[in-house]
Amino acid sequence: MDFSNFDFDQFFGFGEDSNPLMMLIWIIPIIIFVFYGQRIQLIITSNEIKKSINKLEEFRNESRNFLISYVKKNLKTQSDPESKIDQFLDYFTVMPVDMDPNGIVPKIRHFIRSREDYTREHVRSLSPTISHYELSKIQTLVEIATSLKLIHKLINHLYLTAKKQNNYPLILPLQMILPFIMEEAEAMKNAIPAFSHGQPIGDGIGPMVVGKMMLTTTKQALAFETVCGETNYEGRKLFLMKAEGPSATVGRPGDAVEEIISKQKLDTIIMIDAALKMEGEESATTAQGFGAAIGGIGTERYQIEEIATKHKIPVFAIIIKESVKEAITLMTKNIADKAEDVRSQIYEMIKNNTKVGQNVLVIGVGNTMGVSQ
Amino acid sequence: MFSKEEKTTSFTIEKCNKCNKEIKRNFKEGDYLFSETTKCPSCDGKLQVEKIFGETIKQ
Repeated sequence: MDFSNFDFDQFFGFGEDSNPLMMLIWIIPIIIFVFYGQRIQLIITSNEIKKSINKLEEFRNESRNFLISYVKKNLKTQSDPESKIDQFLDYFTVMPVDMDPNGIVPKIRHFIRSREDYTREHVRSLSPTISHYELSKIQTLVEIATSLKLIHKLINHLYLTAKKQNNYPLILPLQMILPFIMEEAEAMKNAIPAFSHGQPIGDGIGPMVVGKMMLTTTKQALAFETVCGETNYEGRKLFLMKAEGPSATVGRPGDAVEEIISKQKLDTIIMIDAALKMEGEESATTAQGFGAAIGGIGTERYQIEEIATKHKIPVFAIIIKESVKEAITLMTKNIADKAEDVRSQIYEMIKNNTKVGQNVLVIGVGNTMGVSQ
Repeated sequence: MFSKEEKTTSFTIEKCNKCNKEIKRNFKEGDYLFSETTKCPSCDGKLQVEKIFGETIKQ
């Protein structure tokens, strides 16, 4: 194609025989976009964000209404639980000041546990005869409804602030993080049926693997909602630990490891946990590695790492990869089918990394909803 | 407009502790992993809940 005789004047409508109307058609949009471009972008982006906020509002209302109807249907409450539940949903936690991070972990642990204890006792106050199992389910449903309410409140605040200030750059970070927030919020909303029916979730694969190994052992409580059983395998003594199922709890593995190490010498720790897969990775694939495989806010991991370092105990990990949605909703078939394979990996890991006569602690990390031992 | 609705059905797999026969059925309230349910229809062993999972189909 020959561009040498391209006439710019003719193209832009500036030539002698140009039509003033054509000139305006070119120039007016340029002027509009120069002065009002950001506002136009703000309007377009705002509309998209508003749709997501409406969805979040729907999730918030659905989770609240479900919680109230679940409590009314399953508990013998003395009075109408609605106002009390609304009060629970507004609970917040002020994290300790981190200007001087020294000693912050025990502080965070204290605040988180206080919050858990407080919520548990308040849920119990709805119906004093409630079983431990039912209590744990409602406590989890309260956590889900609280989180969805908080997410909606926060996103709405950022959106309204940007709109109020007519500030396009302020809405950009919101637009970037919103797909991730929506994925998590949707996963939380989808987790409600699994918890209300007492079904195992994807995160329960660790307790599922270890729970079966514990079936024939005598269980003893080591820490709050955390149990341990002893068995032997090819001359090694195995201590099998998990949160106490089938309630919806993750237990307190940090305290339990501290308790066990005060009585027993441990030579190796093996942790089994579900881990978030990266995009492109297949669900329910496993990987072996080193270090304390445990999620959450970090206090339990800190406690286990401290003990392992102090006593020079190697920590091995086996992880089962899952998406956010798979981790907190009803366990998928692929993940459930992986349990037997992970069990054989544990035995192989024990044989390869320990000697006869040594003590091995195997921890099934995760929420043990619907998984007994 | 073109996305299909997803429906998840929960299943329970029971396994006999004697003859290893596996039975797949719909999940029912009160099922939890490793609980003993009924007698095995093939032998005199007991059925134990081995797996609980969801299968999603697009409608």
